[in-house]
Amino acid sequence: MSLAVGLASLIFVLSLWLMFSEKLNRSITAIAGAVLMVVLGKLLGFYSEGQALAAVDFNTIGLLLGMMLLVALLEPSGVFQYLAVWAGRVSRGRPTWLLITMGSITAALSMFLNNVTTAILVAPVTILICEILGITAVPYLVAEAVLSNIGGVATLVGDPPNILVASASGITFNDFLTHALPVVVVVWLSSLLLLRFLFRRQLSVRPANPDALFRLNPAETITDRTTAWRVLSVLGAAILLFFVHHIIEVSPALIAMGAAAAALVWVRPNFGDTVQRVDWGLLIFFTALFVMVGGLEAAGVMAVIVRLIEGVGAMPPVMFGVLLIWVTAGLSAVIDNVPITIALIPVVLGLGAEGLQLGPLWWAVVFGAGFGGNGTIIGSSANIVIANLSKKTHTPITAGLWNRSGLPVMLVSCALTSLLYILLFPLFTH
Amino acid sequence: MQVKDCMKRNVVSVPSSATIASAAGIILRHRVGVLPVLDEHGKPVGVLQLSDLLSLEFPDFVKLVADVDFVHDFGAVETTRPLPELLAHPVTELMQPMITVGEDSGLLRAYALMIQHNVLDVPVVNASEELVGIASRVDIGTAILSNWSLEAKKP
Repeated sequence: MSLAVGLASLIFVLSLWLMFSEKLNRSITAIAGAVLMVVLGKLLGFYSEGQALAAVDFNTIGLLLGMMLLVALLEPSGVFQYLAVWAGRVSRGRPTWLLITMGSITAALSMFLNNVTTAILVAPVTILICEILGITAVPYLVAEAVLSNIGGVATLVGDPPNILVASASGITFNDFLTHALPVVVVVWLSSLLLLRFLFRRQLSVRPANPDALFRLNPAETITDRTTAWRVLSVLGAAILLFFVHHIIEVSPALIAMGAAAAALVWVRPNFGDTVQRVDWGLLIFFTALFVMVGGLEAAGVMAVIVRLIEGVGAMPPVMFGVLLIWVTAGLSAVIDNVPITIALIPVVLGLGAEGLQLGPLWWAVVFGAGFGGNGTIIGSSANIVIANLSKKTHTPITAGLWNRSGLPVMLVSCALTSLLYILLFPLFTH
Repeated sequence: MQVKDCMKRNVVSVPSSATIASAAGIILRHRVGVLPVLDEHGKPVGVLQLSDLLSLEFPDFVKLVADVDFVHDFGAVETTRPLPELLAHPVTELMQPMITVGEDSGLLRAYALMIQHNVLDVPVVNASEELVGIASRVDIGTAILSNWSLEAKKP
């Protein structure tokens, strides 16, 4: 193993460890790691500033920024509160129905919005509804964290790993609807069933006074009707364009940025307030990770990994895919799924160059990265955000509680996905 | 004018050995918004604000959701009361660090400190840090107003 491979791997592994142990903020870690990688690359001659810039996937950054701007415009209008309050009322205060409606609205929203954003929008209203009903919010909050991760797998724009995989592979928005969405629907319903069983004790408590729920007026949650309609119509148009992006040969990033530009010009918000709602930390994290992993690749680390697992590739493609689902899921359960996906992409491309069929491998990464996040309380940003919000209630979500609820959901999700993957393997090959 | 000229000299306080429940009783009896907590030597060690007490019962979601206009009925929260065990805890667990002003302090300095620290009442201490009075925003605000020549200009 060369010096470049060793030192570049060391920088990356050290960065992952710092992120995992939460010793350092993930964006700070990524910035420092990226700079170290470029300096090392220049010293040893394997990586230059030009290569570092080229390693940044602006397709992913553009799509993320465009969608974030649209949500930033929509959020203050109250549309998301409206949906959450409406979902709460539909349940009529019956615990099992509340689990289904709040969980499902979260899954549906996170198909088009960032998982963390969805969690931040739905969880506070959930806490409100539970406090008004006088019941514990724990089952509903866990369901929302879990289902925001599950729903995100369904579409190209649902979760960053999907955007990364789509950008690297050319998988289209419609491919996600035909390949990932059906799996997600199965996992979604089974997870609700499983959570219903795991929380059967908490869900058997009938709220004493469900009437208060009906005195929540959804109409009053919408504070800016005009903006809501304008942004929703632009968002609707963008989603329609996503369906045909491969036919009209336009990248999803251009559609998202175009929609953001159109909405910004139409709404003309106070731009200072709007940009404050964009998660710049996440965008910086992505950019820096691209630079860091680009260096890893330039140093030849991915080639070493490909050679190491080539022998494994001799096993039947179905089994290799299932193995990849579980390995990706296991890694995403303990580390953020974004660095995992960014690092796995060149490995998968390398395996493709060695003659393995790429299609099934991409889907394995998508499923593993998405469902794996449910494995631990720190497995995804949505889990962390919801656990933090729950600390403000009388019944906080603890790591132990997560291991008895989120972890079983992750295991069952991955088992079901593996089963579907094996049964429908021919479908995933194209 | 200085703070000592507009402050209330009769201060209701609570010893640091008291429980949250007994402190709440004192606040209720004297209808005050803030209660200085004194150690065994009579030195102030913190303040218990009415709002700190209410936060024990106040629903968390009010701070979490952007807008509570649409909530017309607080349902179960209306009848939720803090647990008796919680109220038996010492008052020192709930009190906040005290912002004080010296009795010789100017009115604008006292008012600026209250705005900066977002408090409604400020305990007043003498040179040896002993509690000598308490002033509310109204006490200080009206004292400032009294310096205006309101009746001077009559047409």
